[in-house]
Parts: sequence; C-alpha cells; structure tokens
Amino acid sequence: MNSVPSIVVTGLGMVTPIGTGREEFWNALIAGKCGFGPVQSFSTSGYSVHLGAEILDFEPKDHVVRLRTRVIGRSSQLAIAAARLALADASLDLETIDRSRAGVCVGTTSGEPHFIERFDDRYVQGDIANAGDGLIRGYPCHVVPSHVAAELEFAGETMMIPTACAAGNYAIAHASDVLRAGRADIMLAGGADCFSRITYTGFARLGAIAPELCQPFDRNRKGMVPGEGAGFLLLERKDQAIARGARIYCEVAGYGLSCDAHHMTAAHPRGEGASRAMVMAMKQSGIAAEDVDYISAHGTGTPTNDRLETIAMKKTFGELAYRIPVSSVKSMLGHTMGAASAIEAAVCALAITHQQIPPTMNLHEQDPECDLDFVPNQARKCNVKVAMNNAYAFGGNNSSLLFTASAA
Amino acid sequence: MKRVAITGAGVITSFGDSPAAFHSALCNGEKASYRLEDSEAGVSACRQGGHIGSFQPEIYLKGKPLRALDRTGRIVAAAAKLALENSGWTAEVLGTRDAGLVLGTMFGSVHTISEFDRRGLTQGPSYVSPMDFANTVLNAAAGQTAIWHNLRGINSTIACGATSGLMALGYAADLIRHGGQTALLAGGADEFCFEAFCGFDQAGLLCRCNGHSEFPVPFSAQRSGFALGEGAALLMLEEWNEAEVRGASILGEICGHGSAYDPAGNGECGLDAIMRAMNSALYDSGIRAAEVSCISASANGSVFADRNEALAIRAAFNGSGDAVPVTAIKSMVGEALGASGALQTVALLQSMQTGLLPGIRGLEQPGPEIPALNLCRRKQDINTGFGLINSVGFDGNACSLVISGATPELNREMKSL
Repeated sequence: MNSVPSIVVTGLGMVTPIGTGREEFWNALIAGKCGFGPVQSFSTSGYSVHLGAEILDFEPKDHVVRLRTRVIGRSSQLAIAAARLALADASLDLETIDRSRAGVCVGTTSGEPHFIERFDDRYVQGDIANAGDGLIRGYPCHVVPSHVAAELEFAGETMMIPTACAAGNYAIAHASDVLRAGRADIMLAGGADCFSRITYTGFARLGAIAPELCQPFDRNRKGMVPGEGAGFLLLERKDQAIARGARIYCEVAGYGLSCDAHHMTAAHPRGEGASRAMVMAMKQSGIAAEDVDYISAHGTGTPTNDRLETIAMKKTFGELAYRIPVSSVKSMLGHTMGAASAIEAAVCALAITHQQIPPTMNLHEQDPECDLDFVPNQARKCNVKVAMNNAYAFGGNNSSLLFTASAA
Repeated sequence: MKRVAITGAGVITSFGDSPAAFHSALCNGEKASYRLEDSEAGVSACRQGGHIGSFQPEIYLKGKPLRALDRTGRIVAAAAKLALENSGWTAEVLGTRDAGLVLGTMFGSVHTISEFDRRGLTQGPSYVSPMDFANTVLNAAAGQTAIWHNLRGINSTIACGATSGLMALGYAADLIRHGGQTALLAGGADEFCFEAFCGFDQAGLLCRCNGHSEFPVPFSAQRSGFALGEGAALLMLEEWNEAEVRGASILGEICGHGSAYDPAGNGECGLDAIMRAMNSALYDSGIRAAEVSCISASANGSVFADRNEALAIRAAFNGSGDAVPVTAIKSMVGEALGASGALQTVALLQSMQTGLLPGIRGLEQPGPEIPALNLCRRKQDINTGFGLINSVGFDGNACSLVISGATPELNREMKSL
C-alpha cells in the first residue's frame, strides 16, 4: 500500500478589514490594527448597535479578470480576489498545470446573501413578479466556488461546505483529503462571506454584537463584531511542491470535526464536542498535546463563547493549557463568518513561518474565568512548530486543524 | 483501503417513506403527488411540482416540540429517523458510539432565510425571532437533526446545487475509506418553497406544462424544463468490517465516485465535464464501463442538460451506450435539488436488490438530438452488478457515483463463511 502523501500550504491570499494580501495583512496583525467602524453598507438606524468590520476599499475590478463583476455577488468577488492572491503568492504558473486536476473548496455562512436581500426588498415593495430575477444565477451558495473555478478555469471538483462560522476549516480539511486521495493535484481551499444585513440583524437580535470594541477574553467583553472577508490557502502534495521549487509555509497535519448535538446556537457547557475535535485532530496528526505551540482561538468576544472555549481547551490540554499561547485575531478583524477560520488558518501558517504570534487586542482586564495565556495586546516572538486552528459554529459544529512546520 | 457498506436508508417522498414503497411506485410509473398553491405559482405558467402534501412530521418526530425545526429540518430529521431505524442504529447504540451526518442541500431553507429578512424589513430588526435566526444558517437542518437524534460525529453540509446529494455521498464515503470514520448518515434534502420556485421560473428553467396531467419527460422531444419537487433521502454508510461486526444487514456498497466542473459552461454543464465525472467514478471504483449494468440519469426534462448528459453517456460508454439500460426517475419525482442524487441512489440500490429498474414515465419519442441509448420506456429486469448514478447541475457541476447491490441471500452467505 502506498504511504499517505503529505499536504503542504504553498500560497496564502486574503482580503480582510485590516488588509489585503499576505504582507499587508500580517503587518497589520502584528501592529494590532483594528478594522471596525460604523456600518456603511446599509442603514443601521433601527438597530441598537452600529459597529461592523467592512472592507471599505475593495475594488473588484482590480482582481476579477475573466468574469463580469456586475453579475457576480460580493462574496464571489472577495473569494476571487483572495484566490488570485493565493495563486500569485504560490508563484504557480497556471499554464503549467492540468486544470482538470485543479479544484476549489470554499466554506461560507451565508453564500451570496445580497441576492436574497434584493429578492426581499422587491417582495416587500410588492414587486413579486420580478423578485426572483437573477436569484438562481447569483444566490445559491455554491456559486462562490463555481465563480472562483470559472475565473481561474479550474475544472476539477468544486465544492461549497456551508458549515457557518467553522466553514473555512471544513473546506481546508476536505481539500486536504481530496489531495491525499489523489483526486486532484492543486486545491484552493478557503472561505468567503460578504457583509450581510440578515446576519447583522440576527446577531443584533441575539444581543451578541459589541457596541464599540471586540475584546475577546476580557472581563468587560460585550460581544462580537460582524465582518466580511475571504481567505484562501493553496494546497498541494509536498513532493509536487518540492519538485516545482515552491516555498512551503507548513503542512496540513490533520483535522478533527465533531458535533455537540446539544444546542443550535450555544456551545456545550462542558466543551465536550470542541474537545473531541481537538483530540481527533491530534490523533489524526500523530501529535501529542505537549507539542502544540500555539492555538488560534475561535475567540468571538461574546461572553459565552470565550468562557466555554476556555473550558474546552482546559478539558483537552489539562495543566498544559496554561503554557500554550492562545490568541484571537477576531479582536482586530471582527468575525468574518465563513471566511474567519480560513483566514485564521493563514494566521497559523504565518505564525509558523515568522515564528511570531499575533496578539489578542483590546484585552485590558482578563476575565478570571478565561485564565489562559491570551497574548494580550502585543505580538510575541516565540517558537511555533505546531499550530492549532479552532473554529465553532451554529449547529454545534466544532473543528480543529493542525498545521506543522515542514521538515525539508 | 476501507470499503463502504450501505446498511440502511430513509426517504421522505410523496410516494411513501420506505425505500421499497418508493421503488415500487417508480416501477409502477406513478407521478409524485405534489401540491402547488396558486399563490406560490403566481405569474408562472408552470403548474407542476410543489410540496409533498402528505408529509406529516409528527408521525416521525415524537417526544419533543417540533417548533424549532423549519420544513427542511423536519424533512431531514424524519429521513434520519427512518434511516437509523432501517439500519438498526437505536438510541442506545447512539449513546455509546458516534455517528455523523453529511447532508447535501442546495438552499438549506431559503424560505426561512427570506422570511426572517422580510420580517426585519417590515416590522423592524428588533421583531425578528432568535429561533428563526438559528435556522437561517445553511447547515441548520444538519445541526437540528444531530440534536434530535444525538449524532455527535462529523456533521457537515455540502452545497453543490442539484449535485449536492450525490456529492455528499461521495464526501461521506471518502471519510470512511480514507478518514477513519465508521458510521455516517449521508444524502440530501431540499424543501419546495415559493422563493426557489420563483427564482427557477424567472431563470426560465421550469417546464411549461400547465395542464395538471402533464409532467416533464426527460430526454423527450417536447421537453421544456423541469418540475420543482422536494424530498429527502439519507443512507447509513458504515465501514464494511465494523458493519459486519455489529451484525448489520449490508444492502450494498458505495464503490467509488467522481466529480468535475465545466469552467467554460457559463451556467451549463458541457458533455466533457459530465463524461469526466463518470469516468473518474468508474476509475475510482476500479471497474470498466462494460461492467455497469444500469444507469440512473440526472435528466429532468431540461433542454440542454438532458442532451449533454445523453451525449456524455454515449461517449463514456464508448459505443456500448445503447446496451446498458438508462432510467430517469425525475420523470416521476421531478427535480428535488439536493435530494435528487440521494433519492436516485436509494431507488437504484433497491433496483439492484430486486433486479427491477423503473422506466422513464411518459417517454415515447426522444428528442432528435438525443443519441441512441437504451432508454427504458417501461420497468425492466436488470442484471445485478454495478449501478451508475449521475447528477448534473444547472451551473457546470457534474457528479457520478457507482454502487453495487448485495442481495440479502448473498449477505447471509458471506456472514456464514
């Protein structure tokens, strides 16, 4: 039997509220830049909160070459931009690859919500006869990977995994399996979500949106900040990456996925599902708990999430939990929904590459119930060979990815 | 490599809620009894498709309030209950072993999402319901079903348009073959709703059959589009050895799958992508085209997709395409989107066990551009062996799956060895 091939990350692309492209994004993270502001894309006058993390300077025409920007939604535009950045970052010459063995796997929370929002606007205005115009071409969430594939002329498997706020991790996990099984040579894996009225309304109604600041693990944290963005990782087999002389950021060592089967919107009170996902990821990767050097937390900044996430990490790592640096980049980016865990996976890859951990910003008074090392307010230089990326979602979906430094 | 055993199935269709009843209605050439309100059809000329009028969730889902589940959630949770029962996964077993769920769906519930948004627009953002918000995520039905049945394993939702159900089966099969998973419910579901109907109608994809007796006929010369239906189908997939150890009755096997995308299709899946999906499914299964004993086509009455699929079958079977019998159950079920591929799989599995393949209801004269194929006009006997299932999306996605059926007798013999 053939040995299972190692899968490596050779390209990173992201479009986020604090920066676009690997370098700009990483510099912003290390500097602790925050991307929040009053919501611009729709009126929040009827809401009790007004804070959002939108990307204000995004120009689709700078990135989308082949498709017409007018007919595709904003999530697709963000995704195409991040995918092209990842390809360029990987120095991959598209003319040299077999397009039928190049695929795209994307995670999302809402897909292309602007199309159903337009439907609803027309509907409530009484224009039911035209409400559905353009809906099928623009709305169903799988159009996002399809648009990326059409833009890049990739002809392998295209898949959307809409597992809400953990979706990016699911997409990367699946893409690594597709490569391991030999179904493709190149996979673009990531996540994308545009700023959505529906999502904002829902989180506002849950009382989950912070009025001024996202402060994960702080005693005075008041919630998350909905955001938008896209992140892609270019994945390929290690032997192929070495043969083409690619720069290797890290290996995708393994993953763990589980379901709480407990509550749609609240995590398990004892962190059972989240812990099972972390344990499964370590087991699949052949990595011991004491080898984990960094955890990129889900860390939304809501009172409940951060408390229960701390419990889950302690349940998994025991006393070791106090020695592992943990940070939440959502303190800077806000919560980019389905894109979040894909962008955070890129953070793990960069932490391994730069041997540096981005901070949890706005952490001034640590919650005694969140008593781990959350790397407050200042980036930290340290040894990172193994990084764990955790993400959780509505539906009780838990996910942990493990990235490891790649030995030559 | 690990093998993937199919140990049970559950379906929610207008033909009944057991694989046997579903298959026998298809073999009898029955048409789904859908209910389409005039208010839902609106300005559309299409009067075909609609809700499964007979679906009553409380028959299947007892003991807990149903209020938190929307229609998609209820259809999926009901199909899951039937599949768990059919495969012998009791609540006691689920308390000691983790099973997962992989659900293919095109829309989740676009009706729930749209209604939530419209309430915010008309009544104000503080009047939306938090419970409805939980169901606006596209993985809501999978999450609700996991809660209802205590499914703590991998819980994933796959959205690939009309190929979602088949893609979910392939995804789940690979988690068992390569990913160390031992038990996963997998399949697909989509509800019928006004929002989707309205979208498909304005995209010009629905049939123009406005007489209640007409129904779109795949491959026919008169085809003008599809009828939008609904349904759910979930199969219990288990790692073969584990299934044998627990004494499960093995109904069949997922042998392999493949998928492809047509980047140049501009909203249409060309024959090259459909052919690549079929060829990679055959390759993945380690079989030759000549070993396929029957095909369940994706064809639903669409003008271009049916033609492209027919040409692809002809090409993939390299001239022998007119020998292998081809059926198209969407002549009776209509297009059930995320459920379609999974419903086709359940029906074909049943065909491989009974040796009886349903015909294409209403097919007399195939369109002149349809190549010579063995299109079954009526139910017919088939050799059990390998069955091929196709799903072709509206937008460039194609997926194929290969299954084989294990007859109950054979299963018993294998156990006694």
